[in-house]
Amino acid sequence: MSTVTLAREGLTRLSPGAWLRRLARNYVLRRFLVALAKIYVVVTLTFFIVRLMPTNPIEAYINELIDQYGFTYQEARDQAAALFGLDLDTPLWQQYLQYMGQLIRGDLGTSYRSKGTPVSAMIAKFLPWTLFSVGVSLLISFTLGILLGMVMAYRRESLLDHVLSALASILTAIPNYLVGMMILVFLGVQWKVFPITQMRGAMSPGMKPGFTWEFIKDIFYHATLPIMTYVLTTVGSWMLAMKSSTISTLGEDYVMVAKARGLPERRIVTAYVGRNASLPLFTQLAISIGFVVGGSALIEFIFVYQGIGQLLLNSINYRDYPVMQGVFLVITVAVILANFLADFVYSWLDPRIRIQ
Amino acid sequence: MTEQRLDGHLNEEYILQVEDLWVSYQAERGTVKAVCGVSFNLRAGETLAFIGESGCGKTTLGLTFIRLLPATARVERGRIWYSRGTEAVDVLAMHEQELRHFRWRECAMIFQGAQNAFNPVLRIWDQVLDTARAHGETDKKKIRQRMEELFQLVQLEPRRVLRAYPHQLSGGMRQRVLIALGLLLNPSLVILDEPTTALDILTQRSVIDVLRGLKERLQFSLILISHDLSLAAELADRVATMYAGKIVELASVWDIYYRPHHPYTVGLIRAVPTLSGDRGRLISIPGSPPDLINPPTGCPFHPRCPYTTERCQEEEPPLQAVSPTHHVACWHWEKVIAEGGERMLTKAEA
Amino acid sequence: METVSLSLKRTWRLLTYNKMGFLGLLGVLFFILMSFVGPYVVPLDTQTKVDKIYQPPSMEFWLGTDSEGRDIFSQIVHGGKDVLMVAFLAGFISTAIAVILGSLSALAGGWVDNAIMALADIVLTIPQFPLLAVLAGLVKFNNITLLAVILGVLSWPSLTRAIRAQVLSLREREFVEAARALDLGTRHIILREIMPNMMSYIAINLIFAMTSAIYAQVGLVFLGLVPFSGQNWGVMLSLAWTRGAIFYKDSIWYIMSPVAAIALFQLALVSLSRLLEEIFNPRLRTSV
Repeated sequence: MSTVTLAREGLTRLSPGAWLRRLARNYVLRRFLVALAKIYVVVTLTFFIVRLMPTNPIEAYINELIDQYGFTYQEARDQAAALFGLDLDTPLWQQYLQYMGQLIRGDLGTSYRSKGTPVSAMIAKFLPWTLFSVGVSLLISFTLGILLGMVMAYRRESLLDHVLSALASILTAIPNYLVGMMILVFLGVQWKVFPITQMRGAMSPGMKPGFTWEFIKDIFYHATLPIMTYVLTTVGSWMLAMKSSTISTLGEDYVMVAKARGLPERRIVTAYVGRNASLPLFTQLAISIGFVVGGSALIEFIFVYQGIGQLLLNSINYRDYPVMQGVFLVITVAVILANFLADFVYSWLDPRIRIQ
Repeated sequence: MTEQRLDGHLNEEYILQVEDLWVSYQAERGTVKAVCGVSFNLRAGETLAFIGESGCGKTTLGLTFIRLLPATARVERGRIWYSRGTEAVDVLAMHEQELRHFRWRECAMIFQGAQNAFNPVLRIWDQVLDTARAHGETDKKKIRQRMEELFQLVQLEPRRVLRAYPHQLSGGMRQRVLIALGLLLNPSLVILDEPTTALDILTQRSVIDVLRGLKERLQFSLILISHDLSLAAELADRVATMYAGKIVELASVWDIYYRPHHPYTVGLIRAVPTLSGDRGRLISIPGSPPDLINPPTGCPFHPRCPYTTERCQEEEPPLQAVSPTHHVACWHWEKVIAEGGERMLTKAEA
Repeated sequence: METVSLSLKRTWRLLTYNKMGFLGLLGVLFFILMSFVGPYVVPLDTQTKVDKIYQPPSMEFWLGTDSEGRDIFSQIVHGGKDVLMVAFLAGFISTAIAVILGSLSALAGGWVDNAIMALADIVLTIPQFPLLAVLAGLVKFNNITLLAVILGVLSWPSLTRAIRAQVLSLREREFVEAARALDLGTRHIILREIMPNMMSYIAINLIFAMTSAIYAQVGLVFLGLVPFSGQNWGVMLSLAWTRGAIFYKDSIWYIMSPVAAIALFQLALVSLSRLLEEIFNPRLRTSV
């Protein structure tokens, strides 16, 4: 049954119950609901874990105010409540509802260190740089990995394959922050290929954001080293995965039939082998996104790049709990949404998922 | 040697002339001799069926004709002359570009297990278009029209099927789509490799009917590769029995079924139940298929043959003409025909 | 005797089939030996020597000296134990959790299965490093056991899924069916029938859990989020970094020694896992 006929039949004949069932079978919708459910669970878990911790950050803050600034307990408590946007006198479940209500409005509380600054504003300032550097890196490394993986599969057992395989294994094994450090030490300091002090930060001082060539050049310049590190440390696993996937795809009947049909080699390589072999990689994309975004704190620290990881690190060092919690939530939500995006692209590329 | 030798000159009667073809595979244990000195001619418009147990080299033979052998395989020697109008070209000597043109436009091979013959991520129509474009046809309207005609012939609903993705079609439908796609460019030669395996009985029946209908309507030569003798009986003009990479008997379909000269052919025919049921007992051929890495000396069938004599173990029988239309490679064909192959039956029962 | 030497020969051939994997095995053994036996052989150099700051490698100081003129090599030898201990412990804990939850999920089915799989999905979704960093901000990880436990508790989901899938397929096989028919109990079925069939998965995932534990552990120590003291490659890295060892030509040995030690150990582990994969999964070998 093609979807069009199905849909047409659906319009005329199906009862509401059947409609719901059809909707439930829609892959993208299902994945979207799963993503929403995950976000809900993570948000809820964060709320309760933070409050049930042995060193509850709110308590810790209250104690700190009392010890260091000589607040009375009540003053400290009011101050803490105001800061976290909580009414501490209400029962936990009401606090929870209040917290959820604020989150939905995009209110993540205010920073404790830079007093009065909304956490959401801070995140809005730092997050784009991480999304930019990580996004560009994943795009480059995924594409490069697919291309090199296919080359390795087509030339398997050749010298090129052996060299690339060994290189890929080595690059995947070494933690990304060590690779970053080696880049910094060798390319930056010892051999002076990159002027590292100039490249610090997410953009040059005084640069005006906008869709100008100057600006785009500048942000790429500043992101070069983080991107290089991310690409080097992720490309290997894409190469190896694509190589084995391509080798098994090359054995599929439809590739043989495509050759028998006299299709040009270029068309077979792209639409028949490449597209099918890359499908399994999209399921791994989800895990990779989480890992790279998660590790951004380390890379951004090494290269002094003002991304969300750097913000997270600062907030932890200053015990700025509202920022910590907000950044953690945003990173997790970003990863969940990125996973959903990967699912979406996957279903778009594979009709067997889309149309059942 | 089959019929008349070519001696290098073109015989216009034939669409395909295969001369002394040898193909082998490199395996871990040694060299697998899959095709050993096969020669035959195929007339324009004729259907020739290759039958035999699995592993007798018939699929390798089919793949050799369109040069799609796996990387471990090698054509040791031989020629495959394909007639293109007034000239004959050696398929084995074709360049990449010429070969691409030859495939599907001139010779379409329809594979066994068409379940996975289609790219799962492209709609049937896109794959049709791919095929047409690869051979320089760009008029979408014309392609669509032609495809709709062909789908009608193979009893498929064109609009629905063209729009579908492969996984939305049943196995039988996919098989018929592949057959229709095979005829898209009006090839003069079609190779069908086990077109009905993996299909249920009813679907098999409809595919057979479709093939018969197509053969009556469209002019193409057909090489049918099958272990299914009833399929060969329904479609073929001539039948070649293959054993251990060799043609051991080649005759008209009537001769093969009613006057088989080779004990192996007798066994194959008797291994199939007939619907009328009265013509004798059902047997299976004793012994196992030959080892193609170390084939038996002499006649390759001798270890399983009830007519074996010392000569069979030492000397290999050539494929010789016993009548203008009947060739057999057996030292004792006269005995076989005299007894009606009775010994095959008794040996199987013993 | 004959058979023993034969099987030894076979084992040797299997081990040496994958050159890189064999090197990995040797590497892992080397690091274990160095970290656990080495400290008894090489005394830790704690003496500040103002005249010997940032010396290049020599016969006296194999890897040169640090910012206070102390021998780097001795620090590397002494700094491995913590890292390896955390890795082994975390790997062991996550494997144990995964084996228990995975088999339970598959054998119990129903809501237990759904709950475990949902939990695995959630844990897998949360980016590990930020979670660890935030936890480090809330709780003081001042001993390595606590860190190992937390790392282990966070890295079970992927192995759990693999084990669940394996058990589901093994459950249908005859020997498990027989054990069920004999009513030998879930524990017996898991330990005696299913586990031996899954050693390959477990070994490979143990290594994987170890590598991710090392990644997180050294990362946390390097960022100063985990206040470890004493000898530890992560601490060395952190100290070298804060003392600006990256900026001078002479100090390169100070920062690169722990980098190389960690990177080589990770590389050895990953190569070893490839070797194990090939040994356990003969289809990956072209020939032996």
